[in-house]
Amino acid sequence: MISRRDLYRYLTMGLGGAIGFVLGAPGIAYLLDPILRRVSGGGGFVPLARLGELEVGVPRSFPVIRARRDAWVKYPPEPIGSVWLVRQPGEGAKTPVVAFTSECPHLGCAINLEADGKAFLCPCHTSKFALDGKPMNPVPPRGMDSLEVKLSSDSDPKISVRFERFRTMSREKTPLV
Amino acid sequence: MFKHLNDWLDDRTGYRSIVRDTLDEPIPGGARWRYATGAAITSAFFMQLFTGLLLMFTYSPSTTTAWGSVFYVNDVMTAGWIVRGIHHFGSMTTIIMLVLHLVQVVFAAGYRAPREVNWWVGVALLVVTLGLGLTGYHLPWDQKGYWSTKVVTNIVSCTPFIGPYLQTLLVGGDEYGSQTLSRFFVIHAALLPGMLIVLLVVHLAFVRKLGPSSPGKANDTKFWPEKAFKNLVAAAIVVAIPVALTLWNRGAPLDAPADPSARDYPARPEWYFLSLYQMLKYFPGEREVVGTIFIPSGLLAVLILMPFFDRIFPRKLAHFVACSFVFGVTGGVGYLTYQAASADARDASFQNARRRANVEAKRSRELALAGIPPEGAGYLLSRDPLVHGRDVLERKCLGCHYYDGKGVISKDEHGKEVMSKQDAADLKGFGSRAWVRGLLEKPNSSTYFGNVPQCGGMERWKKSSKLTSAELDRVADFVALFAEVDPETSAVEWANDPKIAKHPGLEAFQKECGQCHVVGESGLISEGGVEDAPNLFGWGSNRWIARMIKKPGAPDMYGFLDPKEQMPSFAGQLTDDDVLTVVRYLRDDYPGAPRAERKEKAAEPAEPRK
Repeated sequence: MISRRDLYRYLTMGLGGAIGFVLGAPGIAYLLDPILRRVSGGGGFVPLARLGELEVGVPRSFPVIRARRDAWVKYPPEPIGSVWLVRQPGEGAKTPVVAFTSECPHLGCAINLEADGKAFLCPCHTSKFALDGKPMNPVPPRGMDSLEVKLSSDSDPKISVRFERFRTMSREKTPLV
Repeated sequence: MFKHLNDWLDDRTGYRSIVRDTLDEPIPGGARWRYATGAAITSAFFMQLFTGLLLMFTYSPSTTTAWGSVFYVNDVMTAGWIVRGIHHFGSMTTIIMLVLHLVQVVFAAGYRAPREVNWWVGVALLVVTLGLGLTGYHLPWDQKGYWSTKVVTNIVSCTPFIGPYLQTLLVGGDEYGSQTLSRFFVIHAALLPGMLIVLLVVHLAFVRKLGPSSPGKANDTKFWPEKAFKNLVAAAIVVAIPVALTLWNRGAPLDAPADPSARDYPARPEWYFLSLYQMLKYFPGEREVVGTIFIPSGLLAVLILMPFFDRIFPRKLAHFVACSFVFGVTGGVGYLTYQAASADARDASFQNARRRANVEAKRSRELALAGIPPEGAGYLLSRDPLVHGRDVLERKCLGCHYYDGKGVISKDEHGKEVMSKQDAADLKGFGSRAWVRGLLEKPNSSTYFGNVPQCGGMERWKKSSKLTSAELDRVADFVALFAEVDPETSAVEWANDPKIAKHPGLEAFQKECGQCHVVGESGLISEGGVEDAPNLFGWGSNRWIARMIKKPGAPDMYGFLDPKEQMPSFAGQLTDDDVLTVVRYLRDDYPGAPRAERKEKAAEPAEPRK
């Protein structure tokens, strides 16, 4: 036979648990919303420039212009990042142009070109990269992140790039979905 | 391992004795259900604190973003509607519990010495809670929030002497804007909750110090577990009510975004303030300040002075007066609330306006799913052809034109519905193939130029026309293409496009229509000149219709008519958004439009019919 005191004790604990669950479960689901309901963003190719605009071995930065959804707001096309394009030597080369996102693989600052144009330098924590994207000091965890490039078949091909973001501070280049 | 850690923690903090003291706190006269109203409100406060904190993770307090963020919580985020619903209905539950608690305390004479100070703390808690209930529903910046902010801040301005200054401080300027919502937000989410927590701690500390005002007759018990259980039952009820209301109503309501230009939004406060709203009706004009300021502050003053009743009246009479006062006010509030609600229920124009507000709320939430413009949620409807375009059409165009066989419907002096007279064409499907084909068949129909004798050119043409029905079909196909001209294409570029230059309807058009009508410039497609007629380049396109609305008297439009016979210009009376929405409404160019015949025709390759 259960005592009155124990009955109160169990009922209190049961009721407390029920209240906690009724308020806590939606609360936790709500807080985890950005993980539970991932919105797939970006992915597609963005036109940046024509091949004729680029000189071999001279990197140039181009803004990525794209319409964007940010939670409840729909923005018209506007710059959402930038990409470095480097034209490769050799007429009709297999890869005539290489694209690097300007987002540093270290902590995400925007990578700039050094004043002499011979290397890339991140102004935040001095990550340094060669023009082929390889790291030149041990600050960054990996080289600059290259992006997939598509060329049109015009006589002066249009360069489009698949703009993606990657996880920073990791040796592997992992796309953020 | 854990015991070791707990021992260390107890040694440093003494937490075990604190917990033991709390659990073993004696309850004089045993645990009674009536004490649980206090526990109920405390639980309600914590529930509101918890859900409010969650809402703050997404809420964005500015006039451009507030509605969007609340919409996002409510209609998009996981469990967001539950969290917001509990917070919304929780505020009502809190206020009901507060009234129950107040009545119970007065009934138990809990305001008497030595509990005066705690009574005042309780009255302060009441004011803070009502303040929270008031500032909360402004925050979504929907129609309800906007208009009630307006009303409340104007009531504040009636306060003698300092009113206008208070209003400017509250609004953050003279107009509602960037400063307004952030102020209301801080008041609702930081200032008042902060005060509430301090007052609550003091209140509970006094309750523990002084004990219950009307102890039961049973033996004393300890807090744990019987009192704890009874408190928790109260908490469970307080949680269950808003949860049930949320599930029943599928979340809290959200009206259309704030629209300062709305003409018939039926603004009402939340129901717990309806009595104040109703009271204003009894104090019209100059005397309004009696209802808005004097009576509410008077009631508050009586509550504050209640502990002193004992010094004026004999003890029993004082208690009787206090009880009568509280029951009287509660009854009065109930009566006024009922009056307000039943007046609205009987008021057909209120019901109509409310129905329209619901339609707009639903439409704006549908549109918002596709994304809200960065300029703010207010533009969702003001750029929506279905709501705003239709509204502009009714206000500005249907005085003369008809749409789908109908003009403006109004009531005459006998209360009978009458329709406006038709003086101009029926605009339904204007610019579409069906409209053109109908015009070519019967130009003197009232749908076209039948009521516009000054535009008799088409009728004169029809009498002498030699075009066969098949040729008229092709002309209609051809003219319906005009609306699709790209705004960046010049007339010459357009005329040389094979879609136009090789169109099977071109020949018949040139043979007869081109006698009067020019397209772009003379000689490009036709010569014109036999009779005056509008230039048809881009006819039916957004640009052409907008130009017709703004400059109907331009030489390429109807400038050839006597100014008195022209359509009046609406330039200056309509904003660019007004014009664009009405044009897009006429062209059925909006989400959810009936599938326009124009589009089906345009998709077909224009081949000669057999």
